[in-house]
Amino acid sequence: MILDALWPYAVIVLCGFLPTEVWRVLGVLLGRGFDEQSEAVIFVRMVATGLVAAVVAKLLLSPIGALGVVPVGVRVGAVVCGIAIMLGARRSILAGLLAGEIVLVAAAWMVGRGGA
Amino acid sequence: MPDLTSNQAVVSWHAPAKRGIRAASGLPALTIAFSLVGIGGLARDIGYPMLAGALSSALIWAGPAQVLLFGGIAAGTALPVLAVAIFFSSIRFMPMVMSLLPLINVPRRPAWQLLLAAHLVAITNWAEGMRRLPGLPEQERYPYFMGFGLVVLASGTLATALGYYLIGALPLLLAAALLFTTPMFFAANLVATARRLEDWLPLVIAPVVVVLGALWGGSDYDIIIAGIIAGSIAYVARRWLRSAP
Repeated sequence: MILDALWPYAVIVLCGFLPTEVWRVLGVLLGRGFDEQSEAVIFVRMVATGLVAAVVAKLLLSPIGALGVVPVGVRVGAVVCGIAIMLGARRSILAGLLAGEIVLVAAAWMVGRGGA
Repeated sequence: MPDLTSNQAVVSWHAPAKRGIRAASGLPALTIAFSLVGIGGLARDIGYPMLAGALSSALIWAGPAQVLLFGGIAAGTALPVLAVAIFFSSIRFMPMVMSLLPLINVPRRPAWQLLLAAHLVAITNWAEGMRRLPGLPEQERYPYFMGFGLVVLASGTLATALGYYLIGALPLLLAAALLFTTPMFFAANLVATARRLEDWLPLVIAPVVVVLGALWGGSDYDIIIAGIIAGSIAYVARRWLRSAP
């Protein structure tokens, strides 16, 4: 069915592109005159941060696909190590990402060898 | 002294655009590639075609929104709920565009050019634009930003497509490492950009709410509701902390 084949694109445009792009367009149209420190803006920003942090936590705790083969303790430990390295490396996100990856692969490999 | 003023109206956009392209073709392009390579894996895991995954990067161009969309679909969240969640999670783009606009709208540019530039606004391009553009001559800023931003967007889109194929071709452990880039990048990014109490509180509270939700409701609870609850608790906690003596 052609409709089934087009479905993912419709989802991306309607549920992802439009809800995001509307704010970029509004930013251009409204220009300046917007109080970034108003209580409403702070509340919205905190909820937005909470949403993203919750999804990240969910991806770590009950991941989909191949990440599920790595024990949950290793996944959480690797993220904590990555964040610690990132903070230690003058907040370099790339350094934290690489460190977390190395910890994840090394620990999962050792756990796998010990378990097998 | 050569007369520069007569040339300024026809300043070529080639040279500044090229400088923007060159400036982006290093760490910025690499960082965005790492941040979006896992999105390709997420898209594949929910059964979407490669083009849809790549298109999500080029069109949505907001990693957290893409994580919400694909992660939410994987978790079984209803699409209208996801659209609303993404709508709220993307509010930040409005103040980001507003703060960048005065830098590139010199000399005044037609709306369609500004809308194109606004589409490129996401955390990497915005932060680099705010940092680099003030030091450039006014008429060079727009072409520089477009060159820079398009390279970063292209790199992110290609990385998403690459991640889509890698996830199927890699040994299991490396595929896991590839999928891990998404939560690792966004966890590091959220903490790295947190400065004030209002940035930190949701980061600390959200994982607690998610763990409690998983213990209490199993896999049935809604991740979007968990996020909204976490953000709301964080807001109340912030008011309480600020009013405390």
